[in-house]
Amino acid sequence: MTRIACLAAVDEPPAPATLLQVALAHSPRVEEAGAGRVYLDAAGLEGLFGDEPCLATRLREAAAAAGLSIRVGIAGCRVAALAAARSGPEGTVVEPDGDAAYLAAVPLSLLELSDDLAARLARWGLRMLGELAALPTAGLFERLGGEGVRLQRLARGEDPRPLASWRPMPLFEESVACEWGMETLAPVVERMGELAGRVCASLGARGLAADGFEWICRLAGGRVHGGSLTPAVPMLDATAVAGLLRLALEARPPRGIVESLTLRGRPVRVSPAQETLTDRSRPSPRLLAATLNRLTALVGADGIGAPALLDTHRPDAIVLREYDPHPDRLPRRARGGSAPVLALRRLRPPAPAAVTLASGRPVAVRSGRLAGRIVAGVGPWRSSGDWWTQRPWLQDEWDVELADGTLCRLAHDGSDWHLAGIYD
Amino acid sequence: MTIPIESAPPPGWDREGIDGLLGLLPPGRLSEIVGPRSSGGSSLLLALVARVTTSGGQVAFVDGMDALDPASTAAAGADLSALLWVRCGGRLRPALAAADLLARCPGFSLVALDLDELGPVPASAHVRLQRAVEGSDAILIVRSARHREGSPASLVLATRRLASRWMGLRPLTRLAGLRSEVSIARARPHAFSLGSGQGEGCWTLDWTL
Repeated sequence: MTRIACLAAVDEPPAPATLLQVALAHSPRVEEAGAGRVYLDAAGLEGLFGDEPCLATRLREAAAAAGLSIRVGIAGCRVAALAAARSGPEGTVVEPDGDAAYLAAVPLSLLELSDDLAARLARWGLRMLGELAALPTAGLFERLGGEGVRLQRLARGEDPRPLASWRPMPLFEESVACEWGMETLAPVVERMGELAGRVCASLGARGLAADGFEWICRLAGGRVHGGSLTPAVPMLDATAVAGLLRLALEARPPRGIVESLTLRGRPVRVSPAQETLTDRSRPSPRLLAATLNRLTALVGADGIGAPALLDTHRPDAIVLREYDPHPDRLPRRARGGSAPVLALRRLRPPAPAAVTLASGRPVAVRSGRLAGRIVAGVGPWRSSGDWWTQRPWLQDEWDVELADGTLCRLAHDGSDWHLAGIYD
Repeated sequence: MTIPIESAPPPGWDREGIDGLLGLLPPGRLSEIVGPRSSGGSSLLLALVARVTTSGGQVAFVDGMDALDPASTAAAGADLSALLWVRCGGRLRPALAAADLLARCPGFSLVALDLDELGPVPASAHVRLQRAVEGSDAILIVRSARHREGSPASLVLATRRLASRWMGLRPLTRLAGLRSEVSIARARPHAFSLGSGQGEGCWTLDWTL
């Protein structure tokens, strides 16, 4: 039977090492959950520390001896253990097989939902985990997808994920000192390339890659110049890492004589993937990371990504997601027999337009991009939404053709006219 | 056993229509789509994006004017997750530099540079883009309002508006689409053979809204 104890700091989150030491002194299987919270495997500890209330008392005393004030909850799953730890000044022990009943009266906020999802569940009238657990699973899946089903299972006290045992992370750090100092950027870049080779070699020896690098330049006079680099994909190629570091150093060069350099790689395990013979070619992670970094320098990080449509009728409601050319899925097949689609070219932001009306219909338009008499037009197509929130929107759209043949979309938000786009 | 040199096209391939037209675009070379606004040039480009992404290819779309409409792109059948969108906000030089970088990054099946009316484009820019894509499998295509004299493009497709299509009699009820004509304004013969079923290198396409 799975039994999990949650150790939650009462005051400000302490140093993670302290809470971990308390937990590791009582169980070899410990999961670090961040923000002053640790879970440990409490099964089979009766012979060492007595029953579960005794274990909870002992954990609190050990933490107090280390200068920490904690609450301890013990239950059959992480969520119930966390709820039990937050239940009172000292915490609670939930009886075996009693997780679902215990969680029924716990607020939904325990699940640490995103703002959007929390607002959505609140609109449904859900406040407690028991209400979420009682919903029909099929309907929940239709509306929230797999995430909804996962949350419902947690609300029912079903947590299939085992404890992720904490292990000390090896340090991948290399340093080099230069007694005579480096006054120009070229030797700094060269030494940094050597450090990148050593860090990548030690990462590769353990089957790891790095998803981030930090460097520190110690300057004459005791000053420190540092920076970090986060490649688009985990990397292990020393040449590519050296190239990225060179770009980063050229963007923010150290202001002074450099006496020593330190490079630290943040390790991450990358699961190997094998392409199939039928796969189309895709950008290699190394080249793509270098290209994306250069593109970011050109247009900014918020100008690059894979577009995604938001679940709303609001015009031009899009978001840029991280571009991943190696998704774990098959490409979409072409839709058979689909007719060619007329594209709309968006104007961002929509261009203000002066529109002349006759009998309530636009007959002429003038904006910075175009002007002319309207020879044909249809509308208004009204769309609105978010009227149940603090930021409602409403827009009337007209598709019009100008005398020169230009097809465009006009938008009226109730007060002003805009040129929203041009069909091309 | 005799192996035919020309393999059969995939199911659903329309030799006479847009598939035959898009099949002319040569990999490893620069092509252009030119035409005034509302002539179907952007629709043609999105049709190409859709066909590449749905066949498993990756597309880099350098958007000079920040005018790409992802809703139109999805409606054209494109897989948005296979699309790298680079928004340049109306700046010409970053757009040209981004297209140059992406053309040199192997793995993209299509690199599209949408300039529309952005310009004037330096004469050397097209030469540099042609050099960047040489030897790769990617199609590099530039969409602009007019053809740049001196461009080394292997294929230049010119679009022309024929008529808008509306639904309903007076009063009209809905914009149905656009009929446009695509013609080959320029083709370098060494790059490919014009095997279209229309012989004259001219296509009439109906774009539906």
